[in-house]
Amino acid sequence: MSYYFTILSPTDTPLFNIAFGTSKGGGDGIARFRFPETAQYMNQFIIHSSLDILEEAQWTNGAMYLKHIDTYPPAAAYISAFLTPSGARFLLLHQPPHLPSSTSTGSGLGSSSLLGSAGSTTRASSSSVAANPTSPQTEEAVRQFMNEVYENYVKTAMSPFYKQGMEIKSPVFRTRVTAAGKKWL
Amino acid sequence: MAAPPRHSTMLSISNGGTPQSGPNDKQTQQQAQTLPQSPGLRVPSNRKTIYDRHLNRSRNAELSRASFAYLFGEMVTYAQRRVTGIQDLEKRLNEQGYPLGLRLLDLLFYRSTSTSSSALSSSSTSSSPPNRPLRIITLLHLIHGPLWRLLFGRSADALEHSVSPDTPNEYMITDNDPLVNTYISVPREMSMLNCAAFVAGIIEGVCDGCGFETKVSAHNQPTEMWPSRTVFLVRFGDSVMEREKVLERSGVK
Amino acid sequence: MSANKTSRIGEETRVDKVNAELVTLTYGTIVAQLCQDYDSDYQEVNKQLDKMGYNIGMRLIEDFLAKSGVGRCANFKETADMIAKVGFKIFLNVTPTVTNWASDNNQFSLIFEDNPLADFVELPDDGRAQDELWFSNILCGVLRGSLEMVQMQIEAHFVSDVLRGDETTEMRVSLVRYIEDEMPPEEE
Repeated sequence: MSYYFTILSPTDTPLFNIAFGTSKGGGDGIARFRFPETAQYMNQFIIHSSLDILEEAQWTNGAMYLKHIDTYPPAAAYISAFLTPSGARFLLLHQPPHLPSSTSTGSGLGSSSLLGSAGSTTRASSSSVAANPTSPQTEEAVRQFMNEVYENYVKTAMSPFYKQGMEIKSPVFRTRVTAAGKKWL
Repeated sequence: MAAPPRHSTMLSISNGGTPQSGPNDKQTQQQAQTLPQSPGLRVPSNRKTIYDRHLNRSRNAELSRASFAYLFGEMVTYAQRRVTGIQDLEKRLNEQGYPLGLRLLDLLFYRSTSTSSSALSSSSTSSSPPNRPLRIITLLHLIHGPLWRLLFGRSADALEHSVSPDTPNEYMITDNDPLVNTYISVPREMSMLNCAAFVAGIIEGVCDGCGFETKVSAHNQPTEMWPSRTVFLVRFGDSVMEREKVLERSGVK
Repeated sequence: MSANKTSRIGEETRVDKVNAELVTLTYGTIVAQLCQDYDSDYQEVNKQLDKMGYNIGMRLIEDFLAKSGVGRCANFKETADMIAKVGFKIFLNVTPTVTNWASDNNQFSLIFEDNPLADFVELPDDGRAQDELWFSNILCGVLRGSLEMVQMQIEAHFVSDVLRGDETTEMRVSLVRYIEDEMPPEEE
């Protein structure tokens, strides 16, 4: 799985971007998007094209974590969203390494592992996070990731010198997001 | 370790940047995350940064009320020197409160997601994360209760809706004895000034952050019992009132 | 007065309280506003903060004497102890360490383990703020203003700050002279 994570201001200014790959299931944490030469633009394009849907979801669902809100079939990309109460948007694009095979539904794995013991859940989620962007395990892993980024975002925003809409340049923040990606995704 | 060069002339590529095009066999090389970053700020060798400090560390900490009054008083005095009238001064205080509202909003929600006893709900049993306010009344309750408790250690004293049919967009939050007025001595020529304009700015920040375009002003409404009683007039914009109707129809709470 | 007794006064003096974060955030707002108004001329911001502190100090000392009930200090060493263990304890709820005395006993350092004014703060990453801005400089002015009201002319400045990446936050305080005559304090 390859990930592109971005934070947008309430007025859609990009405040932070990062690309990374899965660290689950033996992943090396490096992003391998399908169209490497254009990935940066492509990812931003896909994310921005999901903003209309996001704005609609924003006013029907009061949760901060909105789970996956959009898909972009041409790139087999999924978008998950998290809204901070102060209006910043966290968007995560995930793209599986190969097109999901049409025969594999993956639903059996998802539901059975939910009922499993803690140990087996972890195992199952590790593999399905990498494989299936819409499984409950993935939604949960993304939620954990978003929460951890949110904590660090609040720390950034609490500083009196940080003004809403300012790019987040702190290398420490970047390290924290990278670590959260490694831990949960 | 030597201090990193801080006056680097490196272009800012800290925002992900474009993938470095190396000798790429097209599978890889999208290592945006490994690009060199701006070296950032110096940190002590114990690496204590804002990111290492727990956000709840000062949650229940208290400080002398006099210290607050002195600081706030200096803030008002300083602002006063840079403006021409009371309206200007109140505007300035409002603007200084606004970013605080945004910060407090995030802090409140963080605290209620990170702990089982939510700062946002009165019942400590619910551990599910709180919802962003979608409707006016939910938002106002958030301000009247949790926000006031975080700032002043108690809820506000009243929350009312305008009874006039001409102003359905107006709401009033009342504080009988605002902290910001208690210890602040306003110069005689400024007797109409209400320093709670600062708090009005905080409220405006909270509303705006949540997506409710608002104007908030503070008004002296003394009673015999409460000489510094202040009413915060919250006026929502047309777009908010329109949306409110739509959400009402579709049953969003 | 014994050091122990001084600490006890600091511990036991009861004052009205507010949420510490309200104080922290308000102070942060003040500094950020100054930086904006003075266009990131940090030397000027330091000066303004010191001035604000001076104004506060002149009024705060009365409050301090009334609340703590302490009398005149016998010497500068006792003054230092009183500042750290009673003054800072009452008004900021911290007790900086008094150390690094000069041989003539007219100069010491306050080392701040905690500093509620600087909670949540990260200085601007503009390549200058960490070299030029003393974020908590208001405290220097507070000391200067309050001690002047009890006939001590002092000089105070920060020499290090963890916000700048230093290992400690340290303020240097020097006694300039005891003021003999009752002069009205200069207006600032």
